[in-house]
Amino acid sequence: MPLLNDLTAAVAAGKRVDTVRLTQELLAAGTSPQAVVEQGLVPGMAIVGERFKKNEIFVPEMLVAARAMKEALKLLEPLLLKAGIKPKYTAIIGTVQGDLHDIGKNLISMMWRGANFAVVDLGTNVSPEKYLAAAQEHKAHIVGLSALLTTTMPAMKETVRIIKAAGLTETKIMIGGAPITQEFANDIGADGYAADAGSAVDVAKQLVGDAA
Amino acid sequence: MKTCTMTGCERVERMFARRDQDRVPRCDTYWPETITRWQREGLQWDHNDALRLLETDFQGLCWSWPSAFPNQREVLAQDAETETIRDAWGGVARFWKGRSGTPEHISFGCDTREAWDKIYRPAMLAAPNQIDTHAAVLRFHEGRQLGRWTHLSGVEGFEALRRLIGDEACLMAMIEDPEWIRDIVSVHTDIVLRSFEGVLAEGAKPDGLWIYGDMAYNHATMCSPAMYRDLVWPAHKRMADWAHAHGMHVIYHTDGRVSGVLDLYIEAGFECLQPIEAKAGMDIRQFAPTHGSRLAMFGNIDVMKMATNNLDLIEEEIRTKFAAGMATRGYAYHSDHSVPPQVSWDTYKAIIGFIDRYGYY
Repeated sequence: MPLLNDLTAAVAAGKRVDTVRLTQELLAAGTSPQAVVEQGLVPGMAIVGERFKKNEIFVPEMLVAARAMKEALKLLEPLLLKAGIKPKYTAIIGTVQGDLHDIGKNLISMMWRGANFAVVDLGTNVSPEKYLAAAQEHKAHIVGLSALLTTTMPAMKETVRIIKAAGLTETKIMIGGAPITQEFANDIGADGYAADAGSAVDVAKQLVGDAA
Repeated sequence: MKTCTMTGCERVERMFARRDQDRVPRCDTYWPETITRWQREGLQWDHNDALRLLETDFQGLCWSWPSAFPNQREVLAQDAETETIRDAWGGVARFWKGRSGTPEHISFGCDTREAWDKIYRPAMLAAPNQIDTHAAVLRFHEGRQLGRWTHLSGVEGFEALRRLIGDEACLMAMIEDPEWIRDIVSVHTDIVLRSFEGVLAEGAKPDGLWIYGDMAYNHATMCSPAMYRDLVWPAHKRMADWAHAHGMHVIYHTDGRVSGVLDLYIEAGFECLQPIEAKAGMDIRQFAPTHGSRLAMFGNIDVMKMATNNLDLIEEEIRTKFAAGMATRGYAYHSDHSVPPQVSWDTYKAIIGFIDRYGYY
C-alpha cells in the first residue's frame, strides 16, 4: 500500500503535517488504526532508530520524528481504545532516586512509544519502591532506569535488587545513562543495557522476545 | 623528589606552543560531596586545598553566563529534599537542597520565538554586566603572584540556548527555525564578549579564555556536525577570534563524544579540548596521535576508574594516557569530569603521586 509507505517516510523525515494528513487519509480509506500504527508509524520510527545508531541523524531529527508520530497517535489512540487494541508490551521508565535529569529518559520514552510499547513515565527521582509498585500495577514487561550521575548509580543497584527480590519474573530491567556501562549492568544484575536511544528499542525487544 | 623549574603560566604557555615543559600542567574539579567526604578523611579545608596539593597551574578570574533577569531567584515550591525555583533565565527548575546534581527543568520562560523577540532578547541586551570586574581583577593579580595561568571563563551559545529555551525546543528549532537559533547564539555571544571587555578594561590581562559548552553526550554530539557548523560554530569562531586578538589562548570544555567535530573545533580556533570524557568513548591514546599537534588534550583520566579506588587500575590509566598526551607536548592533567565522592581522599592523594610519577618530562 503506497500510502502506508508514504506515512513511514513522513514519520522518518519528521514531517508532522504530512504524517497527520496521511494518517487521516489512511483512516478515511478504511485502513485499520492498528495497521496505521504497526505498518505505517512504527516502521518509520524504526528507520529513525537505525539512522540514529549510525550517526546518520542526531537528536533534533529524532525529536521531530517522535513529535510527528505523537501527533498521529492523537488521532489513532481513541480509535484503538474503542476497538480494545492495546500495545503488546508495557514499559515503565524513570530517572533513579537522587537524579533529576530527564532528557535521556525522555528520548528513550519517545523511541519506545515509537516501537509501539505502552510507556508509563514515572518522572525523575524515582524511589526503588515506586518503580516496584508501578511494575506490579502495570504488569510491566520492561522497567527502564536512567541515571546521569556517577553519584546516583548506587540507586540503580538498589532498584534492581528490590524488583528482583519481588520475584517479577516477567519483568526485565534495563539501565542506561551517561556513566552506565554493560559491565555495570552485569555487576548489579540488570537484564539489559542500552548505550543510546536507538539501541534501547533493540534491547527492549530482545528482552521481551520480540526481536526481529 | 622532582623539581619544578617553571611557573604554572610558563608551563601552560609552553604546552600551547608544544615546547618542552618540566611537567604536565594540572587542574581538577570536584563534586561538593567529594570535598565533604575528604574533609572527614583528612582534607583540612576546601577544594582549594585539594588544588594546592595537586599544584594546580590554572586560575579562573570570572564566570560569564548572561541572563535576562539578573538576581531573579523566586522559590515557587519546596519539600524536604528539593526546591522549585524560577531562575534568572525565566525558567522553572527543581533543584536539590544542599546537594549537587543536574536540576529537573520544568518549564522555560523563553519558550517561543515571540517571547524571545519581545521579552528575552531586549532584557538580555539591557541587563548590566553580570561579572564582578573588580573581583576578577583581584583574582588576576592573585594568579600572577602564584605564577598561574589566568583565564576568563564563560558559556558559549549552545549551552546558553539549552538553558534559555530548553533542550527539546532548542534542538527542534535547529531544524524548524534556524534563524531564531542563530540570533540567540549571536546575542549571547555579543553579551559574553562585552562582559569580558569589561574585565580587560579594569586592567586584567588574562592568558586565556576557557569556553564552556556541553554539546554532546555519550553517543555523539547533540546535533549533526553540519548543523553545528551552520548554527553555532560561527559564534565559537567569533569567541576564539576575540581571544586571539587579545593575545589569549582558547580552551573549550565539553562533555560527551565529540570525535566527529574535532576538526571543526580546530578550524574555529580552539587550541585545547577539556575534559575529554572517557566514559563517552573519548580516548586521547586514540586522538593525541591524530589531533594532538593541533589540539592540546586536557584531561581524559577516567573518574569511573578513580571511583573503583583500585590503585593498579588508576595507575595504568594515568601512565598510558600521560604517555600518549605527553608525546605531543600538548597535554594537561584533569579528570575526565568532576571527581566523584566514591573516590577516597587516600586514593586522590595516590592519584597525585601517580601524576608526579608519570607527569614529568
